[in-house]
Amino acid sequence: MGAELLAGLTAVLDWEVLGFLTAGVTLGAIFGALPGLTATMGVAVLTPLTFWVSAEQGLAMLLGIYCGAIPAGGIPAILINVPGTPASIATSWDGYALARQGRAGLALGINALLSAVGQLTSILFLALLAFPIAGFALKFGPAEYFGLALFGISLMAGISKGRVLKGLLAGTLGLALALVGLDPMTAYPRYTFGMSEFLDGISFVPVMIGLFGLAEVFVQISERHSIRELPVKALGRILPRRDEWKKMLPSMLSGAGLGTIVGAIPASGGDIGSVIAWEQARRISPDKEEFGKGSLRGLAASCAACNGAIGGAMTTMLTLGIPGDAVSAILIGALLIHGIQPGPLLFQNNRAFVFSIVFLLVFASLLIMLIGLVGARPLAGILRIPSPWLWAGIVLFGTVGAYALNNAVVDIWVMFAAGIAGFFFRKAQIPLGSLVLGLILGPMMEANLRRALIIGRGDWSGIPTRPIVLFFLIAAVLLPVLPWIRSKLFKRGE
Amino acid sequence: MLRVIAAATVLLGGACGPADGPYPSREIKLIVQASPGGTSDTVSRVMAGLAEEDLGAPIVCENKPGASGALAFSYVARRPADGYTIGHAPVEIAVVRSLGYADIGPSDVSLICMVSKTAPALVVRADSPWKTFEEFVAGARREPGRIVMANSGIGSIWHFNVLLLEQGSGARFTHLPYAGSSGALVSLIGGHSDAAVAGVGEVVAHVQSGSLRPLAVFDAGRSGVFPDVPTTHELGYEIGAPAWSGFFGPAGLPEQAVAKLASAFKRAFQTPEWEKLCAERGMEALYLDHEQFERFALEQQKFFGDAIPKLVRLGAG
Repeated sequence: MGAELLAGLTAVLDWEVLGFLTAGVTLGAIFGALPGLTATMGVAVLTPLTFWVSAEQGLAMLLGIYCGAIPAGGIPAILINVPGTPASIATSWDGYALARQGRAGLALGINALLSAVGQLTSILFLALLAFPIAGFALKFGPAEYFGLALFGISLMAGISKGRVLKGLLAGTLGLALALVGLDPMTAYPRYTFGMSEFLDGISFVPVMIGLFGLAEVFVQISERHSIRELPVKALGRILPRRDEWKKMLPSMLSGAGLGTIVGAIPASGGDIGSVIAWEQARRISPDKEEFGKGSLRGLAASCAACNGAIGGAMTTMLTLGIPGDAVSAILIGALLIHGIQPGPLLFQNNRAFVFSIVFLLVFASLLIMLIGLVGARPLAGILRIPSPWLWAGIVLFGTVGAYALNNAVVDIWVMFAAGIAGFFFRKAQIPLGSLVLGLILGPMMEANLRRALIIGRGDWSGIPTRPIVLFFLIAAVLLPVLPWIRSKLFKRGE
Repeated sequence: MLRVIAAATVLLGGACGPADGPYPSREIKLIVQASPGGTSDTVSRVMAGLAEEDLGAPIVCENKPGASGALAFSYVARRPADGYTIGHAPVEIAVVRSLGYADIGPSDVSLICMVSKTAPALVVRADSPWKTFEEFVAGARREPGRIVMANSGIGSIWHFNVLLLEQGSGARFTHLPYAGSSGALVSLIGGHSDAAVAGVGEVVAHVQSGSLRPLAVFDAGRSGVFPDVPTTHELGYEIGAPAWSGFFGPAGLPEQAVAKLASAFKRAFQTPEWEKLCAERGMEALYLDHEQFERFALEQQKFFGDAIPKLVRLGAG
């Protein structure tokens, strides 16, 4: 064991391997920071390049991209309210609010530090509990996925920032939009209006760019006469103070833990994990009203969960050979090219390589911390760009990003439509988070409920009796009404 | 970003009229019908990298996923037939018309060459009671619909193979569709379904790690990856619709361009790198030249055109 640990570390402590890792993290940061370019895309495009280098070097580069892209997605989320990757949607809620209060530096600092700490925590989970976590992930059948999705959707009320009815309205709209495309069970086209571009449904990333990025631009333009100065000017300090660390600790731990578990479950990753973590942090926090208005706890939870999901996905990939998310699916392909087969046998036959991966993830965490902290000041240059230029830039990068995702022109129209809709939603104070949640979780909920019914031959009674499903169902019903019950009880006590 | 800029440059360059002199004189765009990272993407990128040198011009891959590839096929078919926009042609190019996704097929494009083939395999969990294909089929006949068969999506090539198996053997399954083979195999390994049909290359990893057991490969000859697993043809069922990979261009591609591209891809096909990739991904390296590929793809188009309406009726009933 000790010798293998050392062998794994030596394989990584090679200047070439570390060079590839640094290059990967830097490249990943660029992919992540540009909305529309995702971690998946970065890893996929660079995978063929790694065929010509050693397994450690290639993996260092790809893992670097993966780890670097996720926290970098938080940078535009904080500075201009446009999530760079789907995982950083929850980061924008408190991060952008902090930036508007003149504390952009602190938000960027927390993003860099807590993404790294979240990842380190999830690696710790990986090192200690790899096989139990993977076994739990494998228990997720259609019924369990349905339960998870239903639970996620029940969070809509919580993330609606007090406007519950409007939040549910937006969430239902998100679920309705998720219906577009081929029926997941019968492949019958639904609401495509005869356009084959919509057979695969409405792409999520252009909707996200439109709702958050474009709508933000429209809102700022419409309010340009009422604002006395630019919304985000000052950078402020970057490092959190000791008392702030103390404040963030519980939500960071719960964020990293939830991120790891959600990341370990195949086909669910940081996007769902960070929203769940944010909402759970809100529930356990004494200052619930602060969430969404610049809460350090909220930001800590979502940042820790985003990168915590990486550790989770790697757990499932390494122990079972099953991808925990889209990126790890591509990583498995890249490893196979090098003759390395992830799965239980890897832990028996090539444990040194498993340790190498763990060390690469640790070094990648340190690198994202370093690059994030050093990069915060130059990045803040974005804040000094005059608003009209910044607005034009967001529209330009948003358009390129929406197109680049699938190289499809229709995605640009989807982005503009989402932007215009998002503008009116913002004006009507309809929370956009629930809409996104509906759009992400709708397909997961629908397809898996129907799969569960196929397995049960149309009988639904077998679904809620499964323990994990029952847990999710109770949580979905109980958590939203808990504050209400508590307030009733307190009133009676008075 | 860079790709977009590169693409824009190519478009602007292309507007200057037909290129004079020998083909190719500038960058060639290869449209991949699937997302980055999958088999189609890997095949295209590796082939492009290996063929570039011989061709003397860079080949840049661009992904246009959607509608089982129909979007990418139609896009390439509408480009000028100058040999500077070509596409990856998977089996779906012979299928999408029958599915009603787009009115396009092998007869509407210029086929260049084919480079690989992947046979489907029937797998069950390693701890499953079925040890052989015969036992499995007998079980499915005895209790129709009891076996839950995970598939990679209604209308996908592996789902057709399940329908062909039903049609050929009289077995009846409960179909559990997933979005892609990965989801189907995870569900099988997790014990949420009983069996699955997926590409040999997609299951080989799970067979080696000891979680799945292959019962049969749907092909005439044995697979290089599973030399000990019987084929459906040996077992007396002449069924099997493989996935394949080739390249195509818009209809009316000049003969010179087809010949030049085909020879560059053939050189790439003969490299050890290609052989290695095929071995690792469970693909059979199989080269068909322009004419052979055309004959094969048209046969496939006819096969799916006849089979799909029948199979759909069978599936509905």
